[in-house]
Amino acid sequence: MVTRRQFLKHAGATAALLGLSETMIPQLAKALQAASSGKPPIIWIQGQNCTGCSISFLNSNYPGVAEVVLDKLSVRYQPNVMAGTGQTAIAAINDTVAAAKAGKGIYVLVVEGPVPTAQNGEFCTFGLTTQTKTLANTNVKVPGDKTVHEWMKELVPGAAAVIANGNCASFGGIPAANAGTTGATPVSEIVAQIDPKKPMVNVGGCPSHPDWFLGTALQALIALKVLPGGTPLNLNENKMSKTFFGKMIHENCERRGAFDAGLFLDDWNDQSPDYQLCMFKQGCKGPVTFADCPTRRWNSGVNWCVGANAPCHGCASPSFYQKLSPLYQPLPNVNFAGISPATDVLGWVAAGATAVGIGAHYLYKQLGSKPEEAEGGEK
Amino acid sequence: MRIDVEVENGVVKDAWSSGTMFRGYEMLIQGKHPWDAQQVMERICGVCPLVHGTAASYNLDSAMGVTLPNNARLIRNLCLGANFIQSHILHFYHLQALDYIDVTAVTKYNGTDPALKMLRDKIIGLAVAKDLYPFLPRYESPDYIGEPGGPGDPNLATELVGHYVQAFEMRKKAQEMLTIFYGRMPSFVGTIPGGVTTPPTLTNIAAFRARLHDLQTWINDVYVADVKLVATTPAYAPFIKAGDSGGNFLAYGGMDLNQKGTDKYFPSGVITNYGVLSPSKFDSNVIAESVKYSWYNDSTEDLKPAVGKTVPEVGKSGAYSFVKAPRYGGKPMEVGPLARQLVKKDPIFMALATQLGVLTPPVKFGIIPRTGARAVEALLVSLEMDKWLDELTLGIGQPIWDPKGRDIPNSANGMGLVEGPRGSLGHWITISGGKTGNYQAVVPTTWNASPRDKTGVRGPIETALIGIPVPDVNNPINVARCVRSFDPCLACAIHIIHPENNSVKEFRVV
Repeated sequence: MVTRRQFLKHAGATAALLGLSETMIPQLAKALQAASSGKPPIIWIQGQNCTGCSISFLNSNYPGVAEVVLDKLSVRYQPNVMAGTGQTAIAAINDTVAAAKAGKGIYVLVVEGPVPTAQNGEFCTFGLTTQTKTLANTNVKVPGDKTVHEWMKELVPGAAAVIANGNCASFGGIPAANAGTTGATPVSEIVAQIDPKKPMVNVGGCPSHPDWFLGTALQALIALKVLPGGTPLNLNENKMSKTFFGKMIHENCERRGAFDAGLFLDDWNDQSPDYQLCMFKQGCKGPVTFADCPTRRWNSGVNWCVGANAPCHGCASPSFYQKLSPLYQPLPNVNFAGISPATDVLGWVAAGATAVGIGAHYLYKQLGSKPEEAEGGEK
Repeated sequence: MRIDVEVENGVVKDAWSSGTMFRGYEMLIQGKHPWDAQQVMERICGVCPLVHGTAASYNLDSAMGVTLPNNARLIRNLCLGANFIQSHILHFYHLQALDYIDVTAVTKYNGTDPALKMLRDKIIGLAVAKDLYPFLPRYESPDYIGEPGGPGDPNLATELVGHYVQAFEMRKKAQEMLTIFYGRMPSFVGTIPGGVTTPPTLTNIAAFRARLHDLQTWINDVYVADVKLVATTPAYAPFIKAGDSGGNFLAYGGMDLNQKGTDKYFPSGVITNYGVLSPSKFDSNVIAESVKYSWYNDSTEDLKPAVGKTVPEVGKSGAYSFVKAPRYGGKPMEVGPLARQLVKKDPIFMALATQLGVLTPPVKFGIIPRTGARAVEALLVSLEMDKWLDELTLGIGQPIWDPKGRDIPNSANGMGLVEGPRGSLGHWITISGGKTGNYQAVVPTTWNASPRDKTGVRGPIETALIGIPVPDVNNPINVARCVRSFDPCLACAIHIIHPENNSVKEFRVV
């Protein structure tokens, strides 16, 4: 039996995860209590993913993944975590859907990876259909492959909410750069075709941070009153939780001081114990990316991209990857003073079109010449 | 991933392995700035971004003709090593172990370990709530450790499930080691063409080594011990020989021990037709990919990776996989820990193989030696890493990057070969007009899970499945055990297994 004291401690850790104030604890405590008596069911399917968001989920810290799986969520189907394979795994989905229909616990659908729609969706399949196909070199008929698009049509209607986990599920990400071939489509578009009113949230990041995913999932469950509470979700225009995706990386970067002082990294052998250099010239996309990486950091807080002397590639931005390529080339002429929250959807193209604020500052510091003279020489 | 097996008289008679997802990374990287390749290609796989990103970096290094500074070489080795540790732990405990353990036996635990008692009470609570996901449902088997009448007892099963829980923390610790030099995992940022981005300092060496030592101890005392326990459980003795992939093994070699890369921790080599005592020299030029049974245009048949093409053709007649069929000198090859240990002939592994009777005729390398090689490898690599940490040179001015990595040639070819947890991985690039022209990746699972080739010869997993006992077609646990022993990593890797009893021509539909 969990004591009240342990419980509040636990709720405190979760509140920290969610970035919430201590005043939220009583509500969370109620939510968690409900969770331990009947854990919310999760069906987690994978589209054209890379499994990176699943692996990132395993890196969860406070709560650890064992705690999440044992105490918080009823993970009915998750290709990488569950013990079942084949028909037993699929049975877990079917049982969960049937239970939801019977009013015995509504599930949340998590989708990792975009949904391909070209060629009838055959670029990504799992499970079987009732249609048959013939095995190579035989006359043996076997059931055909069921497309992820089919699965979406089956699973979205009964879900309490759909969570697109990770940049490519949310916005198409890297696979969208080949959408011409596969028709890789963001989950939100597929959901809108099936049920425009279905609650739907995006979790950015390539991969998503485990806190971003778990925190957004908990916020959604509370907002939908699957868990007690009802605090509405506070989402930005890209359907991402403002708790995690509300702040610009550049504004909170630990190396912002170097940027302001014009100390940019040119050569990775330039190591000084006295200062850490700004990664802007190496293509940092921090000025157009909204995420709390600088403060939350990654892998139990050990490090983050800029901490490793590397640029932010903007993987939490809806513009990732296509619009932010070339990844290691500096953003052209970003207007710092005038940067707006909408910038994160615009990325490279719009950044190029905005005024010279940052460009002037940066070029002046680096080249000691006026921006207009230097422009042609900068690659 | 999808596996079809045909069962006759209680054993698998034929098998088909299919990759069921296509994204086209090789296509979408064309025309991009070559430096993008490391960031994009590492995202081929979220389980193995470290290996793909590293292969991409070596590939770009070779195209730009860089000389890797010594510290950069060592940091890349250390991070490859940390990735071996996290991946092998994840594979055994979280993807494989529950094929051998009865989780419900935990409810009968009557020992005194407080952590295990807590685990028991938790599992009882879940069982009472009828919510044992994600441990159940699954295929049942009478030979699970802890099952009534099976090997071991509930206390042993509980200890193993306790290790499953510990393993989450351990692999996370190994991911943290990578993060120290590479920023984050998965999808790291710490390698660039020409070197690495984070210099060795006293602080990060200490942070790395502290975690390494914890892991070395745990791997030795827990992981290797648990694998030995499964390997020597009499009920699993048939799996020492069952699950043999056909006697061909390939290792590209990896982890450079000198700056020129002429000496490697994992040597390269090729074994054909069980000739384990005489590996031959590896030649990357004799690799070619067949697409006869893959959903790619036939005009791309039998191309070498350096000039390979990716032209998908969904619904191509007779084809059944998005995975191509790479062949070495025309032969299918098993890659991975077993291949590496056989090529290296590491005395510790060879002693284990001898002890298990693997090398006594008929020589066969089944599920257990494959799993054992992985555990031994995790231990040996973790021990080697201490030496690499010692070799790092501290101090300002010690280079970690060759600036030549920034000079993009107008046209060049590159090749990056590495060994990753799942086996040999190669990336090939052609730079033209200063942009990425052609890019091809041949990944370990392409080797292991390949479909039939143009001559109709099966891929290694398909061959390994033939003869696997399936006494009850409703319960193909042994098929799952065989496939999982290869640690296949196809993103979208659902493990659909549906057997058919050929005599009645009736299919189980999932």
